[in-house]
Amino acid sequence: MRKIEKLTRRLFLKGGLWTALLLLWHGFRGPTKSWAQETDPFSGTDFVGKTREGKHHSFYINFWKPMRRINAETWTLKISGLCEIPKTFTLTELRDLPTRSQSSRLKCVECWSARAEWGGFSVRELEQMVRPHASALGVVFHCGDEYKEYLSREALNHDRVLLVHSMNGEPLSDAHGFPLRLIAPTKYGYKNPKAILEMEYVDEQQSGTWSKIGPYSPDSTILPGTDHPLEYGKNPRRIPGGEITDY
Amino acid sequence: MKTLALFAFFMIVSGSGYADSSEMVEVPAGEFVMGDNDDGYALPKKTVQLEVFSIDRFEVTNEEFARLFPEHTFWKDSQTQPATSMTWHQAKTYCKQIGKRLPTEEEWEKSARGTDARLYPWGNKPLRKKPHPFYSGIIKRRVGLNKKDNSPYGACDMAGSVWEWTVGSENGKKVTRGGLWNHHLDYEYGKTFDRNLIAPSERFIFLGFRCAKSKN
Repeated sequence: MRKIEKLTRRLFLKGGLWTALLLLWHGFRGPTKSWAQETDPFSGTDFVGKTREGKHHSFYINFWKPMRRINAETWTLKISGLCEIPKTFTLTELRDLPTRSQSSRLKCVECWSARAEWGGFSVRELEQMVRPHASALGVVFHCGDEYKEYLSREALNHDRVLLVHSMNGEPLSDAHGFPLRLIAPTKYGYKNPKAILEMEYVDEQQSGTWSKIGPYSPDSTILPGTDHPLEYGKNPRRIPGGEITDY
Repeated sequence: MKTLALFAFFMIVSGSGYADSSEMVEVPAGEFVMGDNDDGYALPKKTVQLEVFSIDRFEVTNEEFARLFPEHTFWKDSQTQPATSMTWHQAKTYCKQIGKRLPTEEEWEKSARGTDARLYPWGNKPLRKKPHPFYSGIIKRRVGLNKKDNSPYGACDMAGSVWEWTVGSENGKKVTRGGLWNHHLDYEYGKTFDRNLIAPSERFIFLGFRCAKSKN
């Protein structure tokens, strides 16, 4: 009985020492996925979320989870994963990249669509600086609302795909994905992630948030069918598939 | 033993050997009704006279297309699914290299519709109201798997499977015909007269082709 008690005490001391060392090490290292050790990209307690009200009746808004507004001063775009030169970019640096403008329609898988003039830069501009490995097949986008989406590099380097920071001549609003979102006009809206925090180069195809839980195709090419454009009173129109260019 | 034999028989019937796009069906010369006046997106209804021609029973498969276009990649075990994501020029080249050609829009519609102006290759009623309701993508299957999607001449998958390139042109785009079993939320595009216009340089996961051949 005495022996067991001593052993227990010794074990307890040993265990305590290991725990203390582990905590100390973990404290230095910091949590693996938290903004505690990095700059908090969010600000205040004001949230943006799904809405079709007010000015958004002509361009609906959807978010995976309500999201605190992003702070332009502290936000950076992190490029990580399979690339030679992982980097972070400030918003000013991204706005200084060669910008182009395009008018394209965002087609939601829930039937509606709306057109806007988007301003931004091609993924190629970033890839010249971070140099993805040959094994990098695609990018996982990590967003401020905890949404994740995957696009292949082939899809991302399509001529009509843009990383955009302006919409209709104005900086992106919080609701439309400030400070940076993807516009891929041949894909349904869920493949156009908003409020991007990080782009991670990966070597295998992955399913995004919606494709994992619902009947949403991981490819998400807009199929031939019927569209209900908001600016035309949702009156149904036939679409041939791919980018909607007729109206 | 009987079970084993039945299983073996089933595997042979449902196996990859079934699809062969070299197999063609003959469409006899004569008139047919083309288009539809109630559908604003279809061509106006008219009677068209065609010479005899043959058309592939099945859409060209991944395995077949990759023989001439080795860069064509596809998922493992999808050799017998319809090949997609090729440009119009690639489809045209494929047909030419095997001694065939792309069908005209008229030939495609007659092959699917027969001479009784039917709405679907099998008749006038949809097989199901919502084939794959709400799924936002395309579900590809082995060509010829749907035994009900047969035209009066025996051509398969002309209402379902994937869209198909034809030689028809309009406003710089090419006419595509066919339909998708699982096109998003609606069924309109499975009808024999439904048509799409797509730029010849585009490649889509929902767009493939089959070949045709003149008799003379």
